[in-house]
Amino acid sequence: MPLQQGSARMRQRTVLLVGIVVLLAALVLAVVLASLLTHGRHEVSPKMLKWKDRGTTKNLQEVVLGRCYNYITAQHPELGDKDCLKIWESLKDAFIYKNPCNITPEDYQPLMELASHPIPCNKSLFWSRTGDLVHRYTKSNQNFLTLEDTLLGYMADRISWCGDPSAPGINYESCPKRNECESNPGSVFWKMASKMFAEAACGVVQVMLNGSAEAGAFRSSSIFGSVEIFNLDPDKVSEVHIWLMQDIGGPQSESCSGHSIQRLVSILEERNFKIICEDNYRPVQLLQCVHNPDHADCRLCTNSTAIP
Amino acid sequence: MMNHFFPLLFVSVLCMNSFSGVQGRKWKGEGTTQNLESIVTGRCYDYIRILNPAVGEKNCSQIWEAFKNAFINKDPCNILPGDYELFINLTFHTIPPNKSLFWENNQLLVNRFADRGRRYMALADTLFGFIGDFLNWCGQADSPGLDYESCPTVMECENNAVESFWRMASSIYARHSSGVIHVLLNGSADGGAYPQPGFFADYEIPNLQKDKISQIVIWVVDDIEGPDIDSCGAHSVKTLETRLTTLGYDVACTDNDKSVMFLLCLDNPDHSKCAVASSAPAAQRGPISSDRGGSWNKLMFVSFAGFLFRFALVY
Repeated sequence: MPLQQGSARMRQRTVLLVGIVVLLAALVLAVVLASLLTHGRHEVSPKMLKWKDRGTTKNLQEVVLGRCYNYITAQHPELGDKDCLKIWESLKDAFIYKNPCNITPEDYQPLMELASHPIPCNKSLFWSRTGDLVHRYTKSNQNFLTLEDTLLGYMADRISWCGDPSAPGINYESCPKRNECESNPGSVFWKMASKMFAEAACGVVQVMLNGSAEAGAFRSSSIFGSVEIFNLDPDKVSEVHIWLMQDIGGPQSESCSGHSIQRLVSILEERNFKIICEDNYRPVQLLQCVHNPDHADCRLCTNSTAIP
Repeated sequence: MMNHFFPLLFVSVLCMNSFSGVQGRKWKGEGTTQNLESIVTGRCYDYIRILNPAVGEKNCSQIWEAFKNAFINKDPCNILPGDYELFINLTFHTIPPNKSLFWENNQLLVNRFADRGRRYMALADTLFGFIGDFLNWCGQADSPGLDYESCPTVMECENNAVESFWRMASSIYARHSSGVIHVLLNGSADGGAYPQPGFFADYEIPNLQKDKISQIVIWVVDDIEGPDIDSCGAHSVKTLETRLTTLGYDVACTDNDKSVMFLLCLDNPDHSKCAVASSAPAAQRGPISSDRGGSWNKLMFVSFAGFLFRFALVY
């Protein structure tokens, strides 16, 4: 009898031990599975490449389409035959699912062809480091057009976009900065659009440069200095007018006789353009005076001016 | 009888054609802007993503639906400002104090002066104003479609879709303005700088909140080449000043404010009113060539002088 009791107790102990081991194993398994699953859920989001600049503008399609229709319907009805949907599709196809460091001008060729339109002569206005002032000017004076006043530039102004090989093909988190890779969707776009804008110019062209900028009003590394001046067609463009604007009350770093302007002039002369340079072109200076009405440079000569 | 048949047929066909032509254009005004939905939705996203992201997240497709439902499937002469209530609720955002700019008879000037909401936030710089600016729209009774052929003018009926939109938008804009508010009037306008009836008179002044407004500044600006019909303290401007003062506001008025004058001068820079007594060096104008010529001359002179000197030394 005692032997039977002893073996029964042993069996009980074994069963208990086995039970505890099974329980522990199940617990461990559960923990491992749980961590794997949650870890896996994070890994399910696309492994997109990471860059240093802001990502694609959200609702890019709606913004681009809306701007296209706004431009051709409300502002330029003579462009009524443009197909905004096709234009959007060609922009998207230029970069979607592609590595954003491998963009080529060929990628944008269909878009450029669909969206380009002729520019009236004597109206092209180029600019460098005067973005704010030049666009306030063209908003007030429809006699001049910057690239950002053409359909292509209008649609793309102040937005960003880039793709990625993994789904959904568009990277809304980040996009490459120029110093990460030059052949990124934004840089290639603006270089191409600027080239075409210069090629389309005819008659007298204008350029607004910043006479208060450090390191010179004209820089060879700018889009103006590296792309636009070399794509002006000497058979179509007769003269280049330089408007050298200094900030009201700002440093007078450079004027028409300055070094970088001399460099610009020699480049243009070599290509047979006639050049006229004007310090502080009056109409644009008037615009600057809107913000500085009481500055000495902005005193009006009118009789009815109140005594300051 | 056959002699008369064909001419009769011809004439009746002509009449039918002209009759159907008259039928096609119900109203005297322009029809709905093409691609209205894409433009409205696009402007909504453009505003919240690029122009003024400070207003936060908005549901732009819901906003389009609310906008559309204000006027479709209804008699286009029976649209009331209140029909846009949901649209306004969805697009509403606060207006920063001291930035409100009201106006009459100078829409383009105000647009430029406000500088996309950076200097001032005019109605067209708010989300609800931006969406509708320079667009046209109307619907038709018993049909969910937009009328692209024609829309009623204000003369044909006041309670049309566009008029009621702006009445609603102006009222809301005024009600939520605060601090120092500005109103830009055209001193060269026919019928006076302060028009009555007018949006400012009928929808904006009545909705201003006295306890939120510290001062009302009136600017009366004449066109550069325009007549000086109205100015501070005179005619309709005097009426306006009196009305606002009676309502209890602190009112100031300036004729031909300098900043605005400069903006007007852009189109007329050589006008005598725009002459600037600048103390900056006179503008250097005229063809210039590179300095290469000058440097070469100097080099030649120095070389020649050097040669002469050496020659003199040798001898």
